[in-house]
Amino acid sequence: MDSKLIKEEEILSELLGEIPGQVERLSAVREELLANAVLLGEIPAPTFGEGDRIRFVIDRFRENELVAPVIDDCGNASALLPGSEGVNTILVMAHADNVFDQETNHAMTVGSDRIIGPGIADNAIGLSSILTLPALLDALGLKLKDDLLLLANVKSLGRGNLEGAHHFLETTQRPFRAGICVEGATLGRLSYSGLGALRCEINLRIPGDYDWNRFGASGAIAHLSRLVGRIMEIPVPREPKTSVVFGGLRCGSTYNTVPKRGSLRFEITSEADTVVTDLESQVRDLSEEFSLESGTEVKLEIVARRPNCGIPFTHPLVKTTRAIMDSLAITPKVDPSTGDLNAIVQAGHPGVTLGLTTAENLRDENETVLLEPLFKGLAQLIALLRTIDEGLCDA
Amino acid sequence: MTKDTNSWLEQNTFHHSDFWDLRKLVEEKERKGLTISLCIPTLNEEKTIGKEVLILRSELMERYGLVDEFAVIDSGSDDRTREVASAYGADVYLASDILPEMGNKRGKGENLWKAIYLLKGDIICYVDADISNIHPRFVYGLVAPLIQYEKIKYAKAFYDRPLNYSSGLRPSGGGRVTEILIRPLFSLFYPELTNIVQPLSGEYAARREVLERIPFPIGYGVETAHLLDLYQEYGIEAFAQTDLDRRVHRNQTTNALGKMSFGILQTFLNRLRSHGRVEQLPDMETVYRQFEVEEGHYRQLTHKVVEEERPPMIEVEAYLARRKLSKQP
Repeated sequence: MDSKLIKEEEILSELLGEIPGQVERLSAVREELLANAVLLGEIPAPTFGEGDRIRFVIDRFRENELVAPVIDDCGNASALLPGSEGVNTILVMAHADNVFDQETNHAMTVGSDRIIGPGIADNAIGLSSILTLPALLDALGLKLKDDLLLLANVKSLGRGNLEGAHHFLETTQRPFRAGICVEGATLGRLSYSGLGALRCEINLRIPGDYDWNRFGASGAIAHLSRLVGRIMEIPVPREPKTSVVFGGLRCGSTYNTVPKRGSLRFEITSEADTVVTDLESQVRDLSEEFSLESGTEVKLEIVARRPNCGIPFTHPLVKTTRAIMDSLAITPKVDPSTGDLNAIVQAGHPGVTLGLTTAENLRDENETVLLEPLFKGLAQLIALLRTIDEGLCDA
Repeated sequence: MTKDTNSWLEQNTFHHSDFWDLRKLVEEKERKGLTISLCIPTLNEEKTIGKEVLILRSELMERYGLVDEFAVIDSGSDDRTREVASAYGADVYLASDILPEMGNKRGKGENLWKAIYLLKGDIICYVDADISNIHPRFVYGLVAPLIQYEKIKYAKAFYDRPLNYSSGLRPSGGGRVTEILIRPLFSLFYPELTNIVQPLSGEYAARREVLERIPFPIGYGVETAHLLDLYQEYGIEAFAQTDLDRRVHRNQTTNALGKMSFGILQTFLNRLRSHGRVEQLPDMETVYRQFEVEEGHYRQLTHKVVEEERPPMIEVEAYLARRKLSKQP
């Protein structure tokens, strides 16, 4: 082993040894972190409607006296926490949008060991950790050598199709040493690859001149359920791993009126882009065939498309993250991401996604985060920043 | 109906956004050497107290230093109110442990009164514990007028209660008890106090020098008593009010409001007696005062309501003649 490697091993070992003691010390910033999470969580931020939440973020960046706080053309908020040397930059990002609409009651309930409310796990608590990061570092008496670029990115979920993250990474000239996506859920999450994915919406409409006397004539619900059955008949390979998930079916409004239109949402994911392309082609053919057979209008819309991407399991960033988790007795759950990590990796930067705490009822209005595991999750994040800062995660 | 815009309403009515710059507000507070205490009276509020303590402490004590002291004074909750409040760093007290030699009475007013003894601030701000959309504005919106204007001694909250958004003009006022009981009583006996949009709101801030000189009903009448006693002593110029936008809280049943009205009426009639208005009832006012708001400006609407009376029919000559009745002695 050469002396550089020996030196790096020593630094890593020293950093890992400090982590368990930091968990307790981070709780000094508990109130600021949770207050930020509640204040953020109570501002509705549906995808494409994150403006009010982003204004709160940028105000916090200014109050914390970060450098160059700015809202870009796409609506992302970013600011810089300068390092002592500033030679490299680490990107730390959390998406600002959630799946709840503007009308949802976003009131949070704060108990002694948990916070409950729509979007608190995905991703108010994650975004709060970005806002509170300067205070968390202060609480540990840490000053990194690298600059930290903090980003609250918009238009991430669903039809947003990672637009905010892509826009930011395409327009930012700065090269990143590494990127970390922070999600509230779930502690132990380790994503270092982006899964090839295709999100589709099929809109079915029964035309005005539809022949209700023809054989097999029926309303939109029956047609859509037949169409689901036909899509499920498409062979899905086991290797490379591939799946089709039906996530939404909207049709009809009452008991006794035949609906004339409906929509179906589903996602195809695969470890091979060619499989995704092939399945897309088959679904497209099937939709056209079904339209002609049934006399209905069937339109397939591709809402989001993501290619497979990632860094290897053996990349120092992944290895170090696993070592950090191990030192905190966190069992890693390796899970390919369909989120913002794709944008980081596609832009050519190494990156991982981490979860901060235990969550329940994800994406329900009573979404819940537990507070006790949160500080372990934050210690993990800060340890990873320190190892990147020390050059231990460079390929 | 006439529209009346008076100068008090224009000059002493604020919106919380007037005080958005908390750094400047804290600077002014420090320059004037003022200290501010915040008190939340509680009774079985475990669902909302955690968030109130978290947000108000974190934003107003740790981030900005506007509030110097923060206490939760509990009336003896059966639920986890005290535990949850403590978990977020509040100093929690049982009202019965404060001034024990004065005995223990159960009621919100008791807690507010004992807060004057317990807390050290020059300004004391009270915030109810049942607000589910708590925000720092609920405190800074109330203490700011007291920091900025020495003549103001008591600042009261009011809220958006949208009843009708058509044409951009909407009535604005208090809850049911305010509109059905308090505003008619004030219109009759204390017309200037009708400028207070929501006299029963549970959030207000006041200078110690005035709080320590007034009695405190322990129950429903405490807010009404404050207004009447301070008005009697200092006049309307001592008051300010701040629009805090929306306040989300529990709705009360009509039965509960009836009980509340009974308590308030006792306080009001007691004050009429102590202010010498029972023996020397003034001529009845015939102008009823309400509010409307347009583009952020509050305006008083005055209605002439004259309750004229007819004599008993038996006293009317024409009636007697028609019925062939003779006049009663």
